[in-house]
Amino acid sequence: MTTTPISPHGSRLGLRRILLDWDKTQLLISFVILGLIALAPLFIKSPYYMGIVILTTLYIFTGISWNIVAGFAGQLLIAHIIFLAVGAYTTIVLYDTYGVSPWIGIWLSGVTAALLGLAVAFITMRYGLKMDYFALFTIALMVAMKTLFLKWDFVGGAVGMGLSLSDPGFSKMIFDSKTPYLYIALSLTLLGVIVQYLIYQSKMGKYFMAIREDEAAAAALGVNTSLYKTLALVIGAAMAGIGGGFYVMYVTFVEPPQVFDLGLNVEIIMAAPIIGGLGSLAGPVLGGILNKPLAEFIRGTLSAGRSGTTLIVYGAFLIVAILFMPRGVTGVFHSLYLRLRQRFVDGRNP
Amino acid sequence: MSLEIFFQTIVNGLFTGAIYALVAIGLTLIYGVMIILNFAHGEFLMLGMYVAYGAFTLFGLDPYLSIPIAALLVFALGALIQAGLVQRVLDAHPLNQIILLLGVSTLIIGLVQFFLTAEPKVVRVPYETAVFTIKGLRFSIPRTIAFFSAMVSSLLLYLFLQKTRTGTAIRAVSQSRPAALLMGINVKYIYWLTFGLGAAVTAIGGVLLTPNYRMIPTVGQSFSVVAFVVVVLGTMGNFIGAFVGGLIIGIVEAFAGFYLGGDVKIIASMLVFILILLFKPTGLFGGKKGL
Repeated sequence: MTTTPISPHGSRLGLRRILLDWDKTQLLISFVILGLIALAPLFIKSPYYMGIVILTTLYIFTGISWNIVAGFAGQLLIAHIIFLAVGAYTTIVLYDTYGVSPWIGIWLSGVTAALLGLAVAFITMRYGLKMDYFALFTIALMVAMKTLFLKWDFVGGAVGMGLSLSDPGFSKMIFDSKTPYLYIALSLTLLGVIVQYLIYQSKMGKYFMAIREDEAAAAALGVNTSLYKTLALVIGAAMAGIGGGFYVMYVTFVEPPQVFDLGLNVEIIMAAPIIGGLGSLAGPVLGGILNKPLAEFIRGTLSAGRSGTTLIVYGAFLIVAILFMPRGVTGVFHSLYLRLRQRFVDGRNP
Repeated sequence: MSLEIFFQTIVNGLFTGAIYALVAIGLTLIYGVMIILNFAHGEFLMLGMYVAYGAFTLFGLDPYLSIPIAALLVFALGALIQAGLVQRVLDAHPLNQIILLLGVSTLIIGLVQFFLTAEPKVVRVPYETAVFTIKGLRFSIPRTIAFFSAMVSSLLLYLFLQKTRTGTAIRAVSQSRPAALLMGINVKYIYWLTFGLGAAVTAIGGVLLTPNYRMIPTVGQSFSVVAFVVVVLGTMGNFIGAFVGGLIIGIVEAFAGFYLGGDVKIIASMLVFILILLFKPTGLFGGKKGL
């Protein structure tokens, strides 16, 4: 958040200018990580590991969508996965029933999820649900939606919906190899990182953070809190919807118990930003590259095929993050960064 | 719906509702004293069920006899979770509290699944399907026992809170933490005691379900959602409210099950919940906490 006057030595050097600003540094870190992910197909040949890389990338994107709502605006939106679920269903219903290409479908997923977000925002603002009640409302909505989708034949009911992979093709977003999926996920995530940065830097982002810190004070200072809470929710919902559209194309099926589930919610939505540092720019990215790979590694090596390890890992992740690293991995990097800057910059130009 | 079926549905609803009431009392007790939503609440119920299962398979102990064992074990676990984890986030942002307890919930489910697999477990007791009939109404014997046990447990906890010195201290802390501190009440001790008690009564609810309920590691999740409904209906942090709310939701679910089918009845609770949240979020007792 601190802006330092750019020293005359650094005016010609772009990198130096970036490194003097923590927010820009976080953006740089995010880009470097995404760049490394882009190179993954050169080194990784096994489909299993490619799958982990793809989900890692997607989880960064879905993590960003929640980071904006919960991290920036401080909303207790626990069951954020409802937006991802609605997005997943939108894409697959459009493709399966109406033959709409997923390339268009996933953007329409963003629209339907945004509409649901708008509805949630409207209802909760209209009746003044705050904090704990808001959290409970989202969970109740998730349980109700799960039952509705189980009974709703149009979306496949209890059986769910699946893709037939018999004939792949670019226009159907169905591929033989994993590499195209990675680059689609990567493009979405790159977009997500940029959108998140723009929001963070904008006036709107500052209003989000004012609401997070003290809603009453923000309202007293003239911030239209209802409008900005709605905006945060709709933006986050739209992004989660788009992520859900891609998710269903990648995992090729969707059923209510799978997506209306708090366990998956922790894995796909919450873990990355919380491990990385909720409310920070690099949080979802730094947390994301630890989240899925670490969970898979532990599941693959330590569990010897027993179920439950993933849950143990995620449970431990959340507890440790909250108790011992409340600012996440990004917080650790930030203190390191401050120390380095102290040594190399501030020390030299008193 | 004939009169006989109507009364039968009410009886079934009350039998389920008594368990809901017990679980909700545990939840409302924790909320009333610490203003914290216990998202790991369902897992205490699940652990109660698994303790009953363990005692039954290892020692052949009847589930009802394992009530004190389950209560003690889960009490200790609840007290530990409070003293070790929850105590540190009591003054943190509510989001941190929720995330921490979600973590605890996920961890407990994972551990149970790891050591006991996700296969459904059943406690087979000889009286599982035993029934007696009064004036055409059928009463399942295990569910009747469960109903009265839940009632007695609720009453005992109520008397403990009202009549004993420690219970009074718990109620004092729920009314005003600073005042309680000034009166020389050891608030930290009250906190872990409350969390333990809340967990223990919930575990009792779990034990009472075992004769006619299959258990899986995630069995607590559906109950915890219902418990939240009940607690909001009966005003968060209100003992009597949680008790009455539990019976009401039990009856609502029984009728919804009759008209909509068993798998859709949760929709009825959720709709009731959303309506309460929207139109009377303070619940039946108008926002008065009262343990």
